[in-house]
Amino acid sequence: MPADSAKPGQPGSSLDRTPEGTIVLGAPRATSEELPPPEGAEQETPEQRTARFERDAMPLLDQLYAAALRMTRNPPDAEDLVQETYLKAYGAFASFRAGTNLRAWLYRILTNTYINGYRKRQRQPVEQPSEEITDWQLAQAAQHTSSGLRSAEMDALDRLPDSDVKDALSQLAEDFRMAVYLADVEGFAYKEIAEIMGTPIGTVMSRLHRGRKQLRDMLTGVARERGFLRDAEVAS
Amino acid sequence: MSCGDPHDTDCREVLAELWLLLDNECDHARRELLRRHLDDCGPCLEEFGLEEHLKALLARKCGGDHAPDALKQRLRQSIREIMMR
Repeated sequence: MPADSAKPGQPGSSLDRTPEGTIVLGAPRATSEELPPPEGAEQETPEQRTARFERDAMPLLDQLYAAALRMTRNPPDAEDLVQETYLKAYGAFASFRAGTNLRAWLYRILTNTYINGYRKRQRQPVEQPSEEITDWQLAQAAQHTSSGLRSAEMDALDRLPDSDVKDALSQLAEDFRMAVYLADVEGFAYKEIAEIMGTPIGTVMSRLHRGRKQLRDMLTGVARERGFLRDAEVAS
Repeated sequence: MSCGDPHDTDCREVLAELWLLLDNECDHARRELLRRHLDDCGPCLEEFGLEEHLKALLARKCGGDHAPDALKQRLRQSIREIMMR
């Protein structure tokens, strides 16, 4: 296993950063001495910690697996990725502060594990999206399309089978795919996505915008191929 | 591009921020401003509706996978083994 750039629970790791003091994914080291320890943390036995992990982290396994599937795009790799993520999380769980965002903490470990391990192994070319904010702002300034076209597009998208929508998402560049997945499927806030992906919020916004735009174009194209949308109805 | 009707806020500006509104990432004042525009401007409202629709579609169709039971069992077992060490 390659060395991780951010091992959970180690002092100074990105998991413990508290940018602007807004999101706390792990215990903030700088202030931990001033604060009382998490309830019972000092006396917590391995058995109690394990029970706490099973109670709090295990119920999130399905969600993490779904995200891993979107990342790796195949079930065996997704299983391996989730297993590695959970074992790392368990190993670092003593440093996880109860009451902070466990889900975001786990996603952060998942993302790091994927980036440091699986992506390198997969050896797929890393797409470098343009991150210019002005770029997406300009792109978004597209004109209105006529209203009849939009409702036709909406109806057509609704008729697409789940597999078409999942396939389209899987075709997005990785960084776009994760941003869209975390925002739209998992409902994370921009700041949480920035923490999970280790990027500035502006980058998250750019990826989200471009990813959604590409996805919409792709889905409209699929709907047209399937005959749900006639050429004349495509709003583009 | 504007829809042609005069608004306090230009359509172009509103369209650029539709996602922020949708993702609940605007502050209160900005949200009110955008909402007011959408109340007045049919084309922008429809665009918002479609983006909202797309977001809901993704949430509905791209989540909900279940981890295999074998993985869950394997993990529980590994964790117990690590704990015993």
